[in-house]
This record gives sequence, C-alpha cells and structure tokens, in this order.
Amino acid sequence: MDNFGLLVTLGAVALVLILLIGWAISTYNRLVRQRNQVKASWAQIDVQLKRRYDLIPNLVETVKGYAAHERGTLDAVVAARGAAMAAAGGGASGVADRAEAEHLLTQALGRLFALAEAYPDLKASHNFAALQSELANTEDKIAYARQFYNSAVQTLTNSIQSFPSSLIAGMGGFRPPDYYEVAGGERGPVQVRF
Amino acid sequence: MDPRLIDTGLIVLGIGGWLLAYGVALLLTRPASPRPGPAGPDLGSEPPAVVSLLANRWEVTEDAAEASLLDLAGRRYLELRQPGDDPRQTTVHLRTPGPAGLRAYERRVLDRVGALAVGGVVPVTALTFRDERQAKQWAKRLRAEVVAEARTLGLSRRRFGPAVVSSLIALAFVAGALVAAAAGHYALRSPDEDAGLPFIAFLFTSLALAGAAGRYTGERDTPAGRDVAARWLGLREWLRGHEEFAALPPASTTVWDRYLAYGAALGVTRVASEVLDLGMGNRRLVWSSYGGGWRRVRVRYPRFWSRYGLTAQHLITRSLLYLGTGLLLVLYRDRPRQWLTGLDPELAPPGPFDVAERVGGVLGVLLLGYGGYRLIRTLIDLATERTITGEVLWVEEWRSASRGQDSPPEPVLHYLAVDDGTADRTTAWAMPSPLRWGCHDGDTVTVRVRRWSRRVLNLQVVTAGRRNRMESTMDDAADQMIAVTMGTAGPRLPDVKRPPRVTGATLLTAEEVGQALGIPVRTPEASPVPMPLGTTYFTTVDKNRAVLVVQVAQGATGDFTWRMNSRRGTAVPGIADGAYTRGDRAMVRSAGTTVLLTLLGKGKGRRQHLPWLLTQAAGRLAAPATPAAGGAAV
Repeated sequence: MDNFGLLVTLGAVALVLILLIGWAISTYNRLVRQRNQVKASWAQIDVQLKRRYDLIPNLVETVKGYAAHERGTLDAVVAARGAAMAAAGGGASGVADRAEAEHLLTQALGRLFALAEAYPDLKASHNFAALQSELANTEDKIAYARQFYNSAVQTLTNSIQSFPSSLIAGMGGFRPPDYYEVAGGERGPVQVRF
Repeated sequence: MDPRLIDTGLIVLGIGGWLLAYGVALLLTRPASPRPGPAGPDLGSEPPAVVSLLANRWEVTEDAAEASLLDLAGRRYLELRQPGDDPRQTTVHLRTPGPAGLRAYERRVLDRVGALAVGGVVPVTALTFRDERQAKQWAKRLRAEVVAEARTLGLSRRRFGPAVVSSLIALAFVAGALVAAAAGHYALRSPDEDAGLPFIAFLFTSLALAGAAGRYTGERDTPAGRDVAARWLGLREWLRGHEEFAALPPASTTVWDRYLAYGAALGVTRVASEVLDLGMGNRRLVWSSYGGGWRRVRVRYPRFWSRYGLTAQHLITRSLLYLGTGLLLVLYRDRPRQWLTGLDPELAPPGPFDVAERVGGVLGVLLLGYGGYRLIRTLIDLATERTITGEVLWVEEWRSASRGQDSPPEPVLHYLAVDDGTADRTTAWAMPSPLRWGCHDGDTVTVRVRRWSRRVLNLQVVTAGRRNRMESTMDDAADQMIAVTMGTAGPRLPDVKRPPRVTGATLLTAEEVGQALGIPVRTPEASPVPMPLGTTYFTTVDKNRAVLVVQVAQGATGDFTWRMNSRRGTAVPGIADGAYTRGDRAMVRSAGTTVLLTLLGKGKGRRQHLPWLLTQAAGRLAAPATPAAGGAAV
C-alpha cells in the first residue's frame, strides 16, 4: 500500500513536471515565433525605406534640371538621405534613432515637393510626376509596414510582460522591442471616429 | 443464364458506368489547393470578394459579402463607427451617395446598406435578412456576380467544361441504350408488357442522366488563378503571423484601410467576421427603426398558449366546453358509484369511491372556475379591440392546415412581430395568413388586434418599408448572369426596350372592382408566390378575402391561355381583339396580351358586370404604364 501511494505521488509529480515542461516549451516557441514576426515586419519596413533611398537621387537630379538654384533644399534632401542610410547601415542605432532619421528625410522630401509648386515646368514633367507617384506609393507601404511592425511589437511585448509567460521570457532573454514611432508621421493624422 | 440476371447486369452496367464516369469527372476537376507563396504584406489588384473565392478553393462563401462591405469602408464609400468597447455596437454610415465605378456585387452590398439605412445610418448587426427566400436569392445573385468577375479576370472557370459535359451527355445516351436493351429483353419475355417500354426506358434514363451532366457543379481553378491564389495565400500567412490582426474590430478599417477586407476574405479576421453577418438574422432579437432611431427589440413567439391566435368563436366554444365539463363533474360526480355498485350513494358504505368523488368535485370546480375566467376574458377581449401602429419586425408562418395527400399544407396563421415604439420587448401577434400578403418587414402598419388572444383582425399598410427599397434594378441582369454561370441561359435576347409590365393593378382600380361587384374592395396585392401568370388579387376590405383575381399573360403563355380558355366561352363582341365570358370567368385579348378575370368567394355569381370590367381592362392595355390602383372603396 505504501509503495502504491509512493508510485501515485511520483506519477502525479511526473505528470505535473511533464505538463510544466510542455507549457514552457510551447510558451518559448510562441515567443520565438512572435520575435521572428517582429523581425519580418521590420524587414518589410527596411525594404520600403531602401526603395525610398533608391528613388531620391533620381528625384534630386530631375528637380535640379528645373530648379538648380534651389540648392539649399536639394542639399537638405541629400544630407537627410545620407543620415538615414547611415542610421540604417550603422548598426548601432536603434529603432528610435532610425525613425528620427527617416522622419527628417520625410520632412526634407516634403519641402522638395512644396518647391515644385513654384515651378510649373517641373510640376508638368512626366519624370517628376512618376517619381512623385512612386514615392507616395512607397510612403503608403511604409505606413502599412509600420502598422504591421507595431502590431507585432505589441503582441510580443504583451507576451513578455504578461504572467506567467514573463517567466519564460526572462529566462530566454526576450526583451520588448521598440515601437516605430514617427513624430510627424509619414501619413496624415488618422481620423478615428468612435 | 438467368434472363433476369442479364436485365440487371445491363442496367447496372449502364447506370453504374455513367455514375462512375461522373465520379471520375468530379475527381479530375476538383479545385486545386495552391501552396501559399512567400508570406508578405503586398496586396494585389484583385477585389476581396474574388480573393475570397480563390482562398476558399473556388467556392464563394459568406466571407465574400462581408469582405466587400469592409472593402467599401476601406475605400471610404462607407464609414464604420464603434461608439463603445463592444464591436457589435458598430454602425455603418453612408458617405458617398450613388458612387460610380463599383462592381456589381459591391453595388449590391452598398444598395443593401442604403436600403436599410435610416438617416444614412444602420447598425452593422441589422444588415441581416428577415426573409429566408430573399436572403438566399440575394446570396445567389452575389455569388454569380463574384464568379462572373473571377471568370472575366481569367482566374476561374466552370468545373465541368463543355468537353466534360458533352462526354457525360454522350455516355448518358449509351447508358440509356443499355437500359433500353434491358427493358426490351424483359418485354420479349413478358408479352403483356407495352412494346414502347424500351423507348420509354431509353428516353427517361438518357434525359435524367443528361440533365444531371448539365447541372452546375461549381467552379475550378485556372493556371492564372492558381498563381494568383498562391500570392494571396502568402498574404494570409503574413496576416496570420500578426495575432493582433484577428482581434481587430470592423471599425479599424479607418486605420487598416483595405487590409481588413482582404483579411476577412482570407478568413483571418476573427472579431470582424463574427460581428458582420449578411445572412439570416435572429428572429428573437430584431432591430427596429420605428420612430427614426435604431432600437433592438426582443420578440417572443408563443407556442403553447391555449388562447393564442384563436377566433372569438373558438374561444367561446372552448370556454363553454370547460364550463360544461366542470358542471358535469360537480353535478354527477357520484354517478359512477351508483352505476358500478347499484346502490344509492346516500346508503353506500365509505370506500375508494369517496376519494374519486372528491377529486372529481375539485376538478369540476376548477374547470368551472377556469371556464368562467376564460369566458370573461374572451368577452373583455372582444369588447376591447385595439388598433396599434408600428413597424413590422418579422413575419413568419406558424400553423398550416393539411389539404389532403396531393396538396401541400395551406398556411393558416402567421406570426407578426410589430414594434409600436412603447417597449423593447414584444410578443408576436397571430395573423390570419391571407393578411400576410399585404405586409413585409420594415413596413409601417396599422393593425386591429385583440390583446388577450393576440389575434390580428385587420391590417393596413401605412408606409411601405425597406423591402420596396431593396428591389434592386440590377436583379434582371443578375438573373441573366446566374443563368450564364450555371450554363442554363438561352440565346441572348435582342437589346430592345422592354414594354412596361402589365399587372392587374395597372388594369383595374379597387373602385371599379368595388362598383362592379357591389363589395368594398381594397387596393390590390400581387401574389407573393411566383406564378406563371402575373396574378393580382382584389380582396374585401373587412375580411381580406379574395373576390377577384386578375391574371395577365404575354407571349407564348398568353397565346396558350387564350386558346385554352376561349374555346368554350361566349364571345363578347366589340372589346379589343376579342373577349369571352364563361361562368365566373372572363378574358380579353389585346396586342398579344391576355387578361383573365376570375370571380372568387363573395364575388362568385356576380357575372353581369364582367364585360364592363373587361372593357376597362382592355382600355388600359393600350397604355398600361399608368397605375390604375387606388384606395379601398365600394
């Protein structure tokens, strides 16, 4: 009878341990999946931002052909692009620094497009119109990619900070990633009506 | 060899072989399951409804309508607002009146919202249907429109192509020949059998199997469709990776634009898809727009109330029955003892009869009380008839009466749920089924009722509701599209302007019918069930009983009707192209249109004015566009 009781106790302990280990593995895998989703979402932002870097030299050259003397604005765009690329390639910068550099580039581009209003020939240029449209399309994609990234970050952060998955996250070295927050926003303010 | 075995073998070979070929065709043409492409957020140019078709293995599910609604919101034709935490409180707001450039099914969804909206607003959970037939028809048309779009884009095709159908039809005739051979073999052995048996067997088998071969079996993939589907399934993988996406409410289209629509089409939006429903609604919790705003009303549908829906005659009869039974039990409760023992109850010794007599007495008193109560309530009910005005929330058949083995049961009573704006709960009324023809959900009606028995005595439509607004102008085109999709379309008709539709209501007024028959008659109602002839009933004002039915037939149906009915009639000269009367029937023919008048109920026997009614109808056949129907009158 004693042996039977001991066996039952050991069996129960083993069962609890198996369940615990199973839960720990499942939680860890879930955290890994969510972290990978964050990385994949960041990669999507990266793709679109690089696409933007590639479009800017053409844009600057086109504008130069019609408004060469607007050197200040053009230089600002080139400098902002350089800073953004440095932030992207430097490795040391975090999401916040990258977001700030991209924000400055967006502002510089905004000033460049505002400039076109004063030059009807530039505005009528097919090349300029095509580049402007392409950049607008890229801006839209950046906005959506940012939403997806922030959504993935939120999911991972919730998992890392919620109990009991926070125990596994702590042991696994998971850290909440930064949100991609833009001071001005690539898009206009969103009118959410509740 | 046993000749019966040969007969059976031939039949099994013919029909079994054809069924096997059909099964193989189904197997070979089953829609593909493309492997998802690389997970990524890129959207393609295909609309969400078509994406839903591709993602659901070439089947249009209810996701297509919901995704289209979200897409319209994402493209700012509509706006979805959520006033609180609960996504079920979301409201749909119309933004762009009559936008151009929408696809047929998008227009259908937008029209539905527009038809239901009150002041440009409708709760998202009020988009459901309240009539099953209408819901099915709407979904069928939407399905055909989505399939047509997918075929136009080269992404889908009919599952059984012309080659498969032709092969199956050819095999059907082979199977028919084998069955005919079996029948012929049997007929040789049975001299009593009709010599035409093989021919009948051939015809029946061939036609039945050929008909089955031509039946629409759905859609299947195309090479381009598979590629596009793989790309969209890549988006599905991407969206599935974002766990938060599944919990987004419909109102988040404001932020996510078209992504939410594509998510719904791909089946990854759990909350949004739970909230949106464009199928049949809940009969117990119905939205009402009576009074201008939207309210949810709980409706109860009594089933076991003994008084529910009964006429005054039935109520009084039942009350008297209870009273009579109670009285018998009280007065004659000791009689069984007398009959069984043969003793005077006064002299009989105490025993088990005492208990039975006491129980009988108590039961009798109870029945007397109950019968009295019912009688009093019935009398009060009769004396306190009320008239209420409100919005029809739900109409549904409740009880029907058998009409014999060969006829379907006839509806006797319908549930009628009306919101008069006084409470958020109501109990459905019991409406005699003939009155059902006059009202639809969304109509504002005035109803004369008895409150205790919940019986409707009379019903008058004050304002036609959303049902009329939902009559889509696209339905003819959609029906033609369904016929093309299913492969049942006839040759395309020349694009000529259609003549205006002629109905009984455009030919005769209630005043004219009332004058002719000497009976107060109300504004005519078209028959609610589809009929081969355009049928309109003129009914009495008091009891809504039909007194005259006007049937209008054109084309081949009109010719046939004219030939069949004019043979034995008495000619009435001087009316249009020809007119006849025969008993309670009369008909007139003008410019290829045949009008048939039949007296019913109280109208029967009042034939002397039929020629005058024919003259009125014939006069309007030349200019039928102007409605002739007026109000109720004698």
